[in-house]
Amino acid sequence: MQFGIFSVGDVTTDPANGTTPSEHERIKAMARIALKAEEVGLDVFATGEHHNPPFVPSSPTTMLGYIAAQTKTITLSTSTTLITTSDPVKIAEDFAMLQHLADGRVDLMLGRGNTGPVYPWFGQDIRQGIPLTIENYALLRRLWREEVVDWEGKFRTPLQGFTATPRPLDDVPPFVWHGSIRSPEIAELAAYYGDGFFANHIFWPTSHYQQLIGFYRQRYEHYGHGKADQAIVGLGGQAFIRPKSQDAWNEFRPYFDNAPVYGHGPSMEDFTSQTPLTVGSPQEVIDKTLTFREHFGDYQRQLFLMDHAGLPLKTVLEQLDLLGEQVVPVLRKELESMRPAHVPDAPTHESLKAARDAEETAEETTEETRV
Amino acid sequence: MTARTIAVVTAGLSQPSSTRLLADRLADATRTALGPDTVVEVIELRDTAVDVTNNLLTGFPSPKLKEVIDTVTHADGLIAVTPVFTASYSGMFKSFFDVLDKEALDGKPVLIAATGGTERHSLVLDFALRPLFAYLRAIPVATGVYAASSDWGSASATGTLQRRVERAAGELAAAVSVAPEAKASDELTSLPFEQLLAGEGF
Repeated sequence: MQFGIFSVGDVTTDPANGTTPSEHERIKAMARIALKAEEVGLDVFATGEHHNPPFVPSSPTTMLGYIAAQTKTITLSTSTTLITTSDPVKIAEDFAMLQHLADGRVDLMLGRGNTGPVYPWFGQDIRQGIPLTIENYALLRRLWREEVVDWEGKFRTPLQGFTATPRPLDDVPPFVWHGSIRSPEIAELAAYYGDGFFANHIFWPTSHYQQLIGFYRQRYEHYGHGKADQAIVGLGGQAFIRPKSQDAWNEFRPYFDNAPVYGHGPSMEDFTSQTPLTVGSPQEVIDKTLTFREHFGDYQRQLFLMDHAGLPLKTVLEQLDLLGEQVVPVLRKELESMRPAHVPDAPTHESLKAARDAEETAEETTEETRV
Repeated sequence: MTARTIAVVTAGLSQPSSTRLLADRLADATRTALGPDTVVEVIELRDTAVDVTNNLLTGFPSPKLKEVIDTVTHADGLIAVTPVFTASYSGMFKSFFDVLDKEALDGKPVLIAATGGTERHSLVLDFALRPLFAYLRAIPVATGVYAASSDWGSASATGTLQRRVERAAGELAAAVSVAPEAKASDELTSLPFEQLLAGEGF
């Protein structure tokens, strides 16, 4: 089981003191938060990709490369990489480069992006979001797996005799998660390829994501990658933690009330009861997160959103201390003890490489037997 | 045939409200036309006003609003009644239909009705409500019912209103009896991936 954080990278005024960080401060803060995530023992840091204010992370592999140089163990990922408006050729090359620099500590989450105007800025059309995802991803897979690619499609100029460089580290492409908030087509795509499926699991009620994940699991089995309960599932989540529950509620309320994604709608009380948001003590976060397993089955990756809505860096770092020291160790132990042996871990570069080598050995053995 | 369910959505603001009064008359007349085992579920939108606004902001309904949406989605027929506000249906009425799934009313027979101070607004049924439900691919029955203040006044006027109510209710009942039974449509469906990959279905 992997635990980590995923950032949206929003620049938001702190409602408690009215200050707004500069883009420079926010970008540096995100890097600091990633380092802290490793320090407190988390497994994954993921950054969003956006191309419009108030968000800063337009260039995730640049940011992750900088973080890779200063970390040793943490897996660097995205939440999400835009497979619709980014050229799959550039994605293939950027992430292969990052893989080499980070010694394999890289995977990525693909998504479509959610803001209409961004598509035309990159020459695309949001109404083609799903066809773009399907075509671009099919090309991305080939670029990582085939040395020389001849390709023709609907959305991009054809490729003749093209080799994406560098080749993926050890010829093992980074593991791909497909992020989704609403579309069954994305669950279908993840299931078809046997990739991971990450349910955003922040904004909407559990029942909605239960449908999506249930569908993904069922299709994963249908496509022959394993049993439904062996499918690779990731979940989002959001928490604000203080040692005492009441302190968490008092301190987080102005941030919640003014947050771009939550604010000025349902009360924090309603929102915490209707969505995965937990505001409270470490024990309360543990208790609520454990219910995720009851709702969705054994899963492989849990990412928390910890640094948005104008929360100051100092507060975010304190959150990470509480998450890493008091919440995750308990969750890790509990969830591991409940997980049946046949349910796999989230793939890593090492495990994918080992699986590939094992497969090759098996093939050689079969051939020898035949001879 | 199992008992039919009629959902009544009424957007009156005051209590008591003439909009609710009209809604109840339409519901009673529809039940009379369809038979006594007809199930009528009345939804006062004012009770879910805050939930509807929250849904517009968050993208998901509260459990209470979800129940209301399910009632409307799964009903065999719909009676929709709004007061006239600023030359059209009220904002609260429109907001409710804005948070429904765009396929929720596909093929559903709907009786449209409105209340207002004067007869001069009666065309609101045909230039505001009818296009809204046509857009949602619902099937508004031919007769809409508009009740002005004066309709509630005199005996002869009441008689006229009651005749319109009964005619519209009869049309709704007829449409509901021949419509296929409404089904729950919230199951996830998807094309096989080979078809998606081939660009079919878009």
